[in-house]
Amino acid sequence: MPIVLATISRALESPPGIWDWDEFRKFLFSRGVLEGVAITIMLSVTAQIAGSLIGLGLYFLRRSRFIVFRGFANFYIWIFRGTPLIVQVVLFWQIFPFLRIGNTLDQAFNFKAQFGLTNEYFVSGLLGALLALALNEGAYMSEIVRAGIDAIDVGQLEAAKSLGMTYGQGMRRIVIPQALRVIVPPLGNEFNSMLKSSSLASAASVLELYQVTLSYGRATGSWITFVVIAIVWYLTLTTIWGFIQARIERRLNLSNIDPGQISKIPWWRRMFGAGIRDTVAPETPEVALPVNDRR
Amino acid sequence: MNGNGQQSSNGPMVDAQDVHKYFHGNEVLKGINMRVAKGEVVVLIGASGSGKTTFLRCVNHLEKIDKGRIYVDGELIGYQVTPGGKVVEANEMESARRRSNIGFVFQRFNLFPHLTALQNIIEAPMQVKGVARPEAEARAHELLKKVGLDQKADAYPARLSGGQQQRVAIARALAMNPKLMLFDEPTSALDPELVGEVLRTMQQLAQEGMTMVVVTHEMGFAREVANRVIFLHDGVILEEGSPEQMFNNPQQERTQAFLKAIL
Repeated sequence: MPIVLATISRALESPPGIWDWDEFRKFLFSRGVLEGVAITIMLSVTAQIAGSLIGLGLYFLRRSRFIVFRGFANFYIWIFRGTPLIVQVVLFWQIFPFLRIGNTLDQAFNFKAQFGLTNEYFVSGLLGALLALALNEGAYMSEIVRAGIDAIDVGQLEAAKSLGMTYGQGMRRIVIPQALRVIVPPLGNEFNSMLKSSSLASAASVLELYQVTLSYGRATGSWITFVVIAIVWYLTLTTIWGFIQARIERRLNLSNIDPGQISKIPWWRRMFGAGIRDTVAPETPEVALPVNDRR
Repeated sequence: MNGNGQQSSNGPMVDAQDVHKYFHGNEVLKGINMRVAKGEVVVLIGASGSGKTTFLRCVNHLEKIDKGRIYVDGELIGYQVTPGGKVVEANEMESARRRSNIGFVFQRFNLFPHLTALQNIIEAPMQVKGVARPEAEARAHELLKKVGLDQKADAYPARLSGGQQQRVAIARALAMNPKLMLFDEPTSALDPELVGEVLRTMQQLAQEGMTMVVVTHEMGFAREVANRVIFLHDGVILEEGSPEQMFNNPQQERTQAFLKAIL
């Protein structure tokens, strides 16, 4: 025990460059760091939305009766789940210069002049990272979408059809709204991951939160300080998201449960997704049936 | 009764001709011929696996058929005849339009659990027929009153008993103003004490002149309400007749054995 305490007190007195309270206070809310946080949020939200739509598209491709579409979807998923995300980020970053449109993109958006940036292919990096994150997320989301839609009883689509609705109307109005309740909890986890894996955009020189703190650390030599700044911000983002997710889940379940019941669950349990499992009413009472006579 | 403005034919409501259906090489319908007149109530009976549910699902094109034709009010169901005389599956819009004239009531109700009773009923009229909300809601309240559930308009299905759910499902089907109602074992998933309320709703519908084809094991209902009882066995119609004839004096040995087992 004395050895541990001695180590800690020595660490806190360690020379500037490793840990520096002043630097921490100065940079936690500095413009550069806040811009990094903003880019992280923007990147994650955009990639998650795009990835979810890609996942939905992949679901329908996989359900297509044309083998070409099914094959494409399976190939896509095989590629994006079978290679590291960081490799995909670098690939899509470099694809624009490779196609000889890297500089064109930079000039078209003119961010470099506007923000006095020096790194080449800045727009390529941002677009490439966004593309890689979204395409990669799509591969994982397709699995989640599939589980969500398949969880809905086929009788729901049949009922919709029997009322004269088309497949599209039935999916849009009846099946997908129900599937969303199944999809939201894993989708929330995906976005939590996304907030963190967006840091891989740093591999494409995107000045998101991690890259910003990394470069400050490199410049000042005060590595731990800036790693802690990154930790504080990532934890803030994921914690806020945890609250938002719990709210969304409760809203989606309102129709199935007594409104009075929700407030009985303590907030700290709701935050960890207790709402759904604890309060959802069974859809239809299970009744012992004779063998389902479908023949 | 016809909401699509087409002319009703003078022929039978249902005209099934030589309907064959295979499941995985297994022939479950072996040439069904059946005519149901307008306003008639027909009850299909038969053991599990006899093909009665499958046939009902074919009438609504929830199942494809492998041979034969089914006409509902003179319209070919699920298929269309090309100018060259070939029979091909109808496109989705056309199938959907023809289905919208046929109400289907499922064994397991299949209400939409994310919608209230009222929303369940107005969904299809608004989406499919483009009925305005106030009009659709007024009609829905009318139908809920008819099935005795107007006070449950804003309840979600999970809050309703099985019998109430099935009555909402009937109201939902009626909201499309169907010419024909198909019932697939509508009371089989219900607790015994809830069967009566659903059967009464169906009986009322029959008395109003609705054409109905009902698959059921409720022989009391068949006896009282049906104009005709059809006994299916192993994918064919083995015997048919009036309820008195079928229950009091069945001709076929199989029918006798089935009725003896079930009554």
